[in-house]
Amino acid sequence: MLTKLMKLATVASLAFATATSAQAQDEGVLGEIKARDSLLCTGHNGSYLGFAEVDAQGEWQGFDIEMCRALATAILGSPDKAQIIPISWAQRFPAIQSGDIDVIIKVTGWTMTRDTELGLQYSRPYFIGPFYVMSRSDLGAQSISDLDGGVFCVNAGTTVERVLADYMETNGIEYQPLAFEKGEELRAALYAGRCDAIAGFGPFLSSTRVNAPNPDDFTIIGDVIKLEPEGIVVRQGEDDFLDVINWMVTALLLAEENGITSENVDEIKANPPSATVERLLGVTPGVGTRLGLQDDWAYNVIKTVGNYGQIYDRTIGDGSRYKLPRGLNNLWNNGGLLYPLVLD
Amino acid sequence: MTKLFTSQKFRRTAVQVLFVAVVAMFILATIIVGRTNIADQGIATGFGFLNQTTGWPVSFSLTDVGPRSTYTQVLFAGLLNTMLVGFMTLIFATVLGLLLALMRISSNSLMKLVGTTYVEVFRNVPVILQVFFWYAILTHFPGPRQAYSLADMAFFSNRGLMLPAPSLSGLDVAIFLIGCVAIGFGLKSFKPKKSGLRLPLAILAAVALFGVLLLTGREADVPLWSVPELKGLRFVGGVSLKPEFSALLIGLTLFGASYIGEIIRGGLISVDKGKLEAGSALGMSPFQINRYIRIPLAFRAMLPSLSNQYIWLMKGTTVGIAIGYPDYFAIVSTSINQSGQTMELLALLMGGFIVVNYSIGFAMNLLNTRLKLKGRS
Amino acid sequence: MTTSVVPPVPKRGFGYWLKKHFFSTWLNSVITVLFGALLIWMCVKLSNWAIFDAIWTVDNKEHCGHGAGACWAVIQDRGRLILFGLYPYEEQWRSTLACLIVILTIGLSCLPSLWSIKKLPTLWVIGFGAFVLLMRGGFAGLPLVTSEQWGGLSLTIFIFSAVFVLGMPLAVVFALARRSSLPVIAKGTGLFIDLVRSLPLLTILFAAAVVVPLLVPDWLEGNKLGRVVVAFAVFFAVYQAEIIRAGLQSTSQGQNEAAAALGMPYWSLVVDILLPQAFRNTLPSTINQAVITFKETSIVTIIGFFEVMASGNAAIGGGEWTEQFVEVYVFLALVYFVFVFGLSRYGAWLENRMRVGHA
Repeated sequence: MLTKLMKLATVASLAFATATSAQAQDEGVLGEIKARDSLLCTGHNGSYLGFAEVDAQGEWQGFDIEMCRALATAILGSPDKAQIIPISWAQRFPAIQSGDIDVIIKVTGWTMTRDTELGLQYSRPYFIGPFYVMSRSDLGAQSISDLDGGVFCVNAGTTVERVLADYMETNGIEYQPLAFEKGEELRAALYAGRCDAIAGFGPFLSSTRVNAPNPDDFTIIGDVIKLEPEGIVVRQGEDDFLDVINWMVTALLLAEENGITSENVDEIKANPPSATVERLLGVTPGVGTRLGLQDDWAYNVIKTVGNYGQIYDRTIGDGSRYKLPRGLNNLWNNGGLLYPLVLD
Repeated sequence: MTKLFTSQKFRRTAVQVLFVAVVAMFILATIIVGRTNIADQGIATGFGFLNQTTGWPVSFSLTDVGPRSTYTQVLFAGLLNTMLVGFMTLIFATVLGLLLALMRISSNSLMKLVGTTYVEVFRNVPVILQVFFWYAILTHFPGPRQAYSLADMAFFSNRGLMLPAPSLSGLDVAIFLIGCVAIGFGLKSFKPKKSGLRLPLAILAAVALFGVLLLTGREADVPLWSVPELKGLRFVGGVSLKPEFSALLIGLTLFGASYIGEIIRGGLISVDKGKLEAGSALGMSPFQINRYIRIPLAFRAMLPSLSNQYIWLMKGTTVGIAIGYPDYFAIVSTSINQSGQTMELLALLMGGFIVVNYSIGFAMNLLNTRLKLKGRS
Repeated sequence: MTTSVVPPVPKRGFGYWLKKHFFSTWLNSVITVLFGALLIWMCVKLSNWAIFDAIWTVDNKEHCGHGAGACWAVIQDRGRLILFGLYPYEEQWRSTLACLIVILTIGLSCLPSLWSIKKLPTLWVIGFGAFVLLMRGGFAGLPLVTSEQWGGLSLTIFIFSAVFVLGMPLAVVFALARRSSLPVIAKGTGLFIDLVRSLPLLTILFAAAVVVPLLVPDWLEGNKLGRVVVAFAVFFAVYQAEIIRAGLQSTSQGQNEAAAALGMPYWSLVVDILLPQAFRNTLPSTINQAVITFKETSIVTIIGFFEVMASGNAAIGGGEWTEQFVEVYVFLALVYFVFVFGLSRYGAWLENRMRVGHA
């Protein structure tokens, strides 16, 4: 009730403010976000290690959380305006359909059903997730077929459930599936030995392994079951919002491509090496107004959250406990699959 | 005109019409808003998805379902899973509850203490926490290769309890169950001279049916009993009790027993002492007093609370989702996520539980009326 | 011929007491010996595990799990996460204080001198309001902490007290409606109550969390926590309504007639005469319902709230403390037990007191 009143008051006062300043009113969810002055973004119901986890102080951390913060900075100017809503895998789609959250940044695979039947829209992939299987080392499995008949644990309601079933059927491997609603339960079951293997996308498996009481007890098997592009999800028809998200991802990648980091962004802004960087950092106008944002939005994002490489490094890469190699999630000129769009 | 408004009858009718109108408008508004919201967001609606294949497996089911099964089949399997664990909980919890009640009213103070401690401990901790606890315990046992075994026939590991089982197909089991029911009904009309003969006869008939099925219903070279055997990563043969199922069953049973025990104790205490004394004055043995006087009378007194508790326990199976048991709720939750048909699936979810719980309520009511007719107290 | 009369055994003394309670028959003696041995063995094992062999501080962490006793170090290390969840670290004193306020409110409402139809609701509105203001902040220099960040024990207590505060008036309305002399209203309410009672709480909360927003206009949506609390309150209310209805039925019909004869208006009859009696008569059942509600708050962990159950799981889910699940679960069980056992003892005491009062 109180929240409701507060919200009403904020909305009312902001509506008044915007009306008097005679600014062009934004349509759709972008307008709502600005009016609310916060971005409602997905967390996890528990911890999805490396992507959305809660530390001992009760703070949200992780790659997806940083993406939320970058998006909040782009739109509202501060990473603190990202409001993280704890949400399970199964609830993410109903939650966005109902407007409980503005955007799903929760390593969500781009599938046809979701894209067409759920009334959703995907951004360009911001992460490439190869699906692997990680098994207990003492089983000595070299390939997935060595695990014939074993118990495979997965997160309930994710694409992994389907992808794994598909792979096993194609390759004629028998297995006993076991699906858990929460990451905690899945991990606990694995560590306890209830599962012979878990299937999931690479970074998740690595982070689960690193967190194990003894990481050497688990081995990631080389066979890739599937490559899944992970996108950021918005409701159907939110084209303006999707534009902002796509260009936010591009800005992060472009910054890395040009060696712009949160440390040197001020120097580079003072001395832009190229016209593209000039535009990116808002030295020459246009990068913001065309999206309905401030012209220095990309500068703010890089300054406060960092470029793509920095985010990766901090949350799941070398700077984190997980020490995941960049692999496919490197820039195209470093052997990866990621590339910025053309900023003209 | 004023007469009309002050008229009691008119006012009563008006209030009720208003009530119905408000409720109807509320429902109508909900439907309209719902339809527009869903249409606005381009979400597919309708029950057509029920005939699509799911593409994902179910970890435990009584029927044969897999990634190629349709949503209808998978949902039905989930409902069966819920009923399986639910009814087994009811049976075990009632037995354990009866034991607890007898302990708490026993003359031995030590028994009383044990009974009371049990009830206070298990009643005052949330059931979901207990289920988590048992699941953690069960999964921390050694793996299948280091399984505890009993004469290489039964195995216990963190993959569950593996037991030898007769080689019966699903069809055989169904025939057996139907046969048992038929025997039960047959005996009701059959009245041998000695009433004590009925039960042994029934058991004999059931065993005979079982034997015939076991001997005839299988392929020629299949052994009579299938014994679990470690092959690679899993046990092949026999029947297995998965830890998810066991943990849910244990947790719900131990929790439910503490409540049912209290209900039964209340029922037993409520039996008038004079009736028990009358029994012993007639020369009945303590067993006979319990069997013919105390338990029937107590049963009548506790039936209403017992049926409430049964419904509650049936609903409590929904915590299975927290430990990976594919009960109806868990299956619906996954289906919602995979198919996106939130509204339709939620309606099916609620419908399923209403049917199951109303059936329990109906059965218990039936029992209640039958018992009531016999005696007057 | 002489008849020897055995002198009656004196019916007191330790020996007699022992015999009467533990060794009255040979069966009882066997049971006593068996159970006694088992109990002593269990007590020794348990106290060794929990106290004597236990490891209490994080510094000794490396000794954990090697045949030693309980590793309470996990509670020292993750205790704050378990109790406060996502609540900002520096602001956790607010969460503590807020919890204490609600506990005080619960304590105060156990005092019979405060039992009046005016005092009790006022107390709860004040206590609950203070809790929400303190938790939320956003005034007088207290940083704003939105409900998405609430967690741990304070979220459990918030859900419990909010359900109680919202559900109680709703229950009264349901109970009165079901007893209404207007058949349509009575039947309609009855149908609704029976329907909700046959549904699992989890499905209702799930529906409130994910479906309700699709069915109501935007301005009515509220946030997820709000919706879940309202749905929980409705669930509580249908159960409590049946209890109140039983209480209303136990009041004598003569009182209604007396009130009618005196020309008392309906509301005055309900508020001043019937409800106080109904509540007083059903107090034990009401407390029992409160106990059940407190335990059932643990269900919301499944739909993604960081109440104490979920934050406990988060504490062991990280890998570092995976092996210490027993300790964390025991700690959680104790947290629940303190509240629930306290409440249920109070209920039993009250029941006893009332029985004496009536006799």
